[in-house]
Amino acid sequence: MRLPFLRSRLRRGVAVAVLTVGLPAFAQAQRAPIIAAAADLNVALTEIADRFAREQGQRVELVFGSSGTLARQIRDGAPFELFLCADEEFVEQLAGAALTRDRGTLYGTGRVVLFAPHGSPLVPSEGLDGLAKLIASGRVTRFAIANPEHAPYGRAAEAALRKRGLWESLRPKLVLGENVAQAAQFATTGNAVGGIIAYSLALSPNLQARGTFTLIPEADHSPLRQRMVLLTRAGRVAEQFYQYIQQPAARAILERYGFVVPQR
Amino acid sequence: MDWRALSVSLWLGVGTVILLLPCGVWLGHALAARHFRGKGLVEALVAVPLILPPTVLGFYLLVAFGARSPLGAAFQSVAGQALAFSFPGLLLASAIANIPFVVQPIQRSFEAIPPDVRDAAACCGLTPWQRFVQIEVPLAWPGILTAAILAFAHTLGEFGVVLMVGGNIPGETRTLSIAIYDRMQAFDDRSAGLMAAVLLAVAVITLTITTVLGRRVGRRRG
Amino acid sequence: MLRVSLRHTDPIPLDVAFTCGPGEVLAIFGPSGSGKTTILRSIAGLFTPHEALVRCGSETWVDTASGITVPPHRRRVGLVFQEYALFPHLTALGNVMTALGHRPRAERRRRAEELLDLVHLSAHTQRRPAALSGGERQRVAVARALARDPAVLLLDEPFAAVDRAVRRRLQDQIDEVRQVLDVPLILVTHDFDDVVRLATHLLILERGVVLEAGPLQSLTNRPDLAWLREAIGLGSLIEATVARADASRGLVELAFDGGTLVAPVRSLAVGTRVRVRIPAREVILATDAPRGLSLHNVLLGSVTAIHSEPQLDEVVVQMAVGNARILAEVTRDAVAQLGIVEGSRLHALIKSVSLEVQPTLPLIVEGAESKTGRGRGGSSS
Repeated sequence: MRLPFLRSRLRRGVAVAVLTVGLPAFAQAQRAPIIAAAADLNVALTEIADRFAREQGQRVELVFGSSGTLARQIRDGAPFELFLCADEEFVEQLAGAALTRDRGTLYGTGRVVLFAPHGSPLVPSEGLDGLAKLIASGRVTRFAIANPEHAPYGRAAEAALRKRGLWESLRPKLVLGENVAQAAQFATTGNAVGGIIAYSLALSPNLQARGTFTLIPEADHSPLRQRMVLLTRAGRVAEQFYQYIQQPAARAILERYGFVVPQR
Repeated sequence: MDWRALSVSLWLGVGTVILLLPCGVWLGHALAARHFRGKGLVEALVAVPLILPPTVLGFYLLVAFGARSPLGAAFQSVAGQALAFSFPGLLLASAIANIPFVVQPIQRSFEAIPPDVRDAAACCGLTPWQRFVQIEVPLAWPGILTAAILAFAHTLGEFGVVLMVGGNIPGETRTLSIAIYDRMQAFDDRSAGLMAAVLLAVAVITLTITTVLGRRVGRRRG
Repeated sequence: MLRVSLRHTDPIPLDVAFTCGPGEVLAIFGPSGSGKTTILRSIAGLFTPHEALVRCGSETWVDTASGITVPPHRRRVGLVFQEYALFPHLTALGNVMTALGHRPRAERRRRAEELLDLVHLSAHTQRRPAALSGGERQRVAVARALARDPAVLLLDEPFAAVDRAVRRRLQDQIDEVRQVLDVPLILVTHDFDDVVRLATHLLILERGVVLEAGPLQSLTNRPDLAWLREAIGLGSLIEATVARADASRGLVELAFDGGTLVAPVRSLAVGTRVRVRIPAREVILATDAPRGLSLHNVLLGSVTAIHSEPQLDEVVVQMAVGNARILAEVTRDAVAQLGIVEGSRLHALIKSVSLEVQPTLPLIVEGAESKTGRGRGGSSS
């Protein structure tokens, strides 16, 4: 009576093994290095990594998230080898905790934009004044930004809104993305009139197709100085990639996505 | 379609079941067979992951074996990699989160065995181990199968705990459910939709298999 | 020889001690909740009372005083449960084979088939319990209990779950088994019919305490046991043999140690041993032998005891007819009118249709080795 029981589970086990494609998750050695990157690099870094693979024949794995969350994961032992952060503060903290090789390099400065999907009552070309008018007329349903607690782009959004005196009135209507990419996603769904998201994301083909945007003046928030740093366990390929990002080809891509790259 | 994520999900599901099933059978049997002091407490502890929000569970697990904890640090020095954000760590977290899904159906199916039948087995000269293997397990196996299926399906769908304890490491802890979330943030709705459909199909197939098997057993038992 | 002594307080109070010898059938009789099943479970090892001593032959199965407790799977006990407790996932053959672990593997199947043949179930060995009727399940349970080569056979209300017709056949089955085995057999029941049909000894249990215990005949012929009146109706039990069968008249003559009884029974062969139950209410006492009545049975005997209870108008008169004892229930007034006293010579008049005749197999003869424990001194006359 136990034999049929075993046989059916065995059948299932075999089926699972057959279904499984790719490496069993325990394989470690010869694995491509894992790069943690802030969510605003969602599109740009993917392009850079593809070029890197084509030109140098080496693969890297990319993990995107909010800078704060990724920094915490690094502190908790996440196996990243390179960290591209959307601000400098988190890098400083990690360096202070001796989790990095050095203090890293500035790879670009980011900007925020006011974004509205097609068909929204919000008109980005009118800037934050337009948003103010919309709030006054009570037509704002929801407005998306990244979570200021741990996302640099969220903090920038909050600063800009506070500067215009819109923070308190907009606060109850805010929908917070776990990172700026999720904020961008929220900004394009029907329920939000729009949001404040990363310039780099607004420039991606996906978002270009879904709405319009306007740059928010740099003076409205503290600069989004983006720092990248090699972590203690970084291997050769991670080092190569770190260098590659600072090469002209990669810099060009970053510029295309709205980053202001530092002069060499 | 992220094949590696599918692989991680399936291995996580299978691994969780293989890890938990022997423990579940032992614990479920012990809880069903005996009344001991503290039994109520054990049953309550078993049920905790059921009602705890996954993020709470994930938080405590991370505290328990993140790199900053004694357990995590010890594991790191021995194994050379962190316990959190690795597949072994994820497997451990998944096993803990699935304890009630495994233990409770098994316990109920052992409890459903009439006490007379168990007594009769003893009077037939079967030792406690023989009783367990020849009589109790075969009679309880629909519950054991249910437990395996439930744990497998629940693991496939697990998100909160996986995200917190596993992070999103491709090929290691990026399960299919995480990959869907990941692809949506990259505005890759097509991939996300495809993977969601795959998860749905796997769920339907596993549930169909259980139902069919269960009915066949029921008919045999009469 | 099985020796049992059990004492327990709650939740089920119990205070019994008895023995049962090989070939004896001890019926434990009493109302529900009296502790009958607990006794069986204690003998089997499924329950250990506060104080217990169970010895089977030379083996001690439990002795709380010296801390010995043998677990149930190591006692050679065959227990037939009230609801049979068959293993639902195994065939009849599988059920019986489960209890054959003590035999070499090669023999098990053959032995199981033998046992199922003994209980007349060879045709159904491959069926699962769900596909068997109540009576068939009971027989599988018996075969499984026998498979153990038990030193004692225990039956817990074995016929409670089946109807009358099936019950008769099952009782015969148990009787057959008893002949094959030579071990003590303990039968728990609340139906006196089982007692009459199968038992050699009787133990009456009420709320965990022994009311009476002893060989069957001596107990049932006691006039002073009021509980009998309540539980089963007062009567006497007589062993007899079929001396003659007259098919044309539809009667048989039953010879007993003291005379002959005539009963309207057709299907008995000459030489069959039977037990005859004579309800006390059906016995009329007469000082002279009557004439011109429809009676077939007129027995002459002398009064050995008269038992009356102050609040009742009925009196029980016990008469000796040869070596047998017959009880008659009559009014106090009748006793006075006829001037009945101990030693009076009277005729007992019994309608033949009132006789309850059951064919049976030989009992232990009273006065042989078996002792049964407590009880108000066996006044077996």
